[in-house]
Amino acid sequence: MQFIPLSYNLRSLLVRRGPTALTVLGIAATVATVAGVLALQQGFRALYAETGRPDLAVLLRPGATAEGVSSFTREGAQRLIKSTPEFAEGADGQPLAGMECFLAVRRARVEGGETNVPLRGVQPSTFALRGDEIRITEGRNLTPGADEVIVGRAITGRIKNCTLGDVLTINVTPFQVVGIFECDGPFESEIWGDFERMLAALGRFGPNRVVAKLRPGVDVKALDARLAASREVAATVKTERDYLSSQTEFLSKILRLLGSFLGVVMGIAAVFTATNTMMSAIGARTYEIGILSATGFRAFPIFVSFLFEAILLGLLGGIVGALLVLPLNGLKTGTTNFQTFTEVAFAFKITPTVLLTAIVFSLILGVLGGTLPAWRAARMRPTEALRRQ
Amino acid sequence: MGDLTRLVVRNLARRKLRTILTIASLVVAFFLLCTLRSLVTSLQAGADSAIASRLIVQSAVSLFVDLPQAYQPKIEAVAGIEQVSKWQWFGGYYQEPRNRFAQFAVEPRETLEIYPEMEIVEGSAEAFFKNRRGILIGDGLVEQFGWKLGDTVPILPELFPHPSGPGTAWEFEVAAIYHPTQRNFDPKMMLFHWDYFEKTLEEGPVGAPGVGTFVVRLTPNADPTQVMATIDALFENGPQRVQSTSESEFQRQFVTMFGNVPFFVSTIGGGVLIAILLAVVNAMLMAGREQTHDIGILKALGFSDGDVFRVLIQQSLCVCVIGGALGIGLAKLSEPSIGLQVISLIQGYRVTPSTMWFGAALAVGLGLFAGAAPAWRAARLQTIEALASKD
Repeated sequence: MQFIPLSYNLRSLLVRRGPTALTVLGIAATVATVAGVLALQQGFRALYAETGRPDLAVLLRPGATAEGVSSFTREGAQRLIKSTPEFAEGADGQPLAGMECFLAVRRARVEGGETNVPLRGVQPSTFALRGDEIRITEGRNLTPGADEVIVGRAITGRIKNCTLGDVLTINVTPFQVVGIFECDGPFESEIWGDFERMLAALGRFGPNRVVAKLRPGVDVKALDARLAASREVAATVKTERDYLSSQTEFLSKILRLLGSFLGVVMGIAAVFTATNTMMSAIGARTYEIGILSATGFRAFPIFVSFLFEAILLGLLGGIVGALLVLPLNGLKTGTTNFQTFTEVAFAFKITPTVLLTAIVFSLILGVLGGTLPAWRAARMRPTEALRRQ
Repeated sequence: MGDLTRLVVRNLARRKLRTILTIASLVVAFFLLCTLRSLVTSLQAGADSAIASRLIVQSAVSLFVDLPQAYQPKIEAVAGIEQVSKWQWFGGYYQEPRNRFAQFAVEPRETLEIYPEMEIVEGSAEAFFKNRRGILIGDGLVEQFGWKLGDTVPILPELFPHPSGPGTAWEFEVAAIYHPTQRNFDPKMMLFHWDYFEKTLEEGPVGAPGVGTFVVRLTPNADPTQVMATIDALFENGPQRVQSTSESEFQRQFVTMFGNVPFFVSTIGGGVLIAILLAVVNAMLMAGREQTHDIGILKALGFSDGDVFRVLIQQSLCVCVIGGALGIGLAKLSEPSIGLQVISLIQGYRVTPSTMWFGAALAVGLGLFAGAAPAWRAARLQTIEALASKD
């Protein structure tokens, strides 16, 4: 069977520049919208899932799914730290573990309105655990025991009283902002202060969670099972990576749902546009199709040829759409993570998944939009088609 | 003019498939645009249901910080206050973490007096008052979980572990069911006895609970601003600073937490609009080109350039208005089912008349814009040239 050369389709698209460009742009707008939502989801997920460390254990009260609803007594947390042989030791021979208190506090946004900002009270051992994950880029680190805080880079310009030298009042205690820190994970949207001073300022008595470095090769599941059944201080254990991933499920699901919903609905409109364009192309080229079949091309090659042209239209749209969303990469934005009820700043992330989805999506649009017109073209009788001049 | 209108219809009918597909894309696009806009407006309208005589007193530090119970008599003593009732967010779930809804420990009598929006449709207020483990639930929960009067409802706690040990559910019994008389009032709340809550916790290590929010009802002629300032000043120096707000402001605070969501939604709407604009312009240009020969005939018959212009622009308008109207109608029709889908995030989802007018204006604008290019070209065509065209 003889197939029609592909250059025929390329030239046809070029000849009908106007409709081609409009259709390609229409598909591109659809692809770009869907890819943009997906890029948002990828950026959000990456912030949590890819920055959590597999060698750190996060201990929460049994039944708590997030640190905000977890709590330990101070004695309980201290006993956990001292009596768990799975925790690694620091240079001083003490377990490498820290208590943290956490509270989403109401703060005013610079641009007006209120939001919830995570406030974390940390111990000196927390910095030992984190190593160079926390990078102070302005000012200095906080002094243990002092009324000082350091603020994540992501919120300095967004939340009031969060630039270097500001005074940040928590309940009735004023804290001095002495440093700005950067971090690749969600901590960059947080305010950190001394554990003891934060407890005092908030009128609390114990930590929300314990974070500890695990010895190499520790079976976290077994540790979790043992501590969950503990009579003394019960706790659930997850690696930090698993813990952070679990905090993204809800928003990730919403964004994925939104993306697929938009994909289907806008996709329908894009398919119709592609069909319209191809029908018009075939209408204008009826005579050519007559010649093609008169010169011996069978119905199937004609069908393939026009379907290919539609796929080409879709692919061009996909490429343009992908190019349109590329500049979004790294663009910072923020929204509330409903699982922690706090605002997090994160960036759009154009991953290979996003680009691949865009291209595959556009190809599907092309196939769906091209099938009917190609079938019509293939069914034309040469005698009738040639008569249409 | 009547004949020209018929010509418009005939022209549209000539390429049935294209007209139908174009209208169908418009329906989809306008459905999306109206739904997206309604999500944003409904989110922002949540605050409108609030009653002006109610104030909320909460911690100024955090949503998750409790106030001491001892604050209650001090607040009650403020002039202009008729009633104060304490609420606590329980934060549990039914069977699985994804089955979350609002559960509050409340003072039953006071709460029903302060919130007349809850109309009891099954069971009775008395039954709720008398049963220590009794709960008052919204009909939205009945719909979701199929609970009925007398059912025992186990709720797994996240914030308040049961003293009997980890993993123990708190057990409640459905004593009454309410139906909200206001659109924006949450139909999925579960209210239970403060006494049961407090007595149970006192058996455990945690002890008596704090208060999440105090709900305050003002006397008819009290000045809310004055009362709020007085309450805030009472606890200026701790131990916990408070923030009193009107009920509408309290709800608005939750709305601002959605942060950039309205912006995202508008951006997506922009994408939808561009896509549909290109689709309609494309379809209209194709139609205009195919009708070149007809236009020549019209002009040869003596119709003016203006008539020709109108024929083409009316075709575009006709398609856009039909598609737009169907899309807007679809958005309105799907209002109840979409409202049910998003109820946990947005109460009272509504496609407002303003959104429908917005859609209508957009449809007309789109029709004029998409029709302009081919109509302009047609009006300027030379009769001879047009007649010579093979289309």
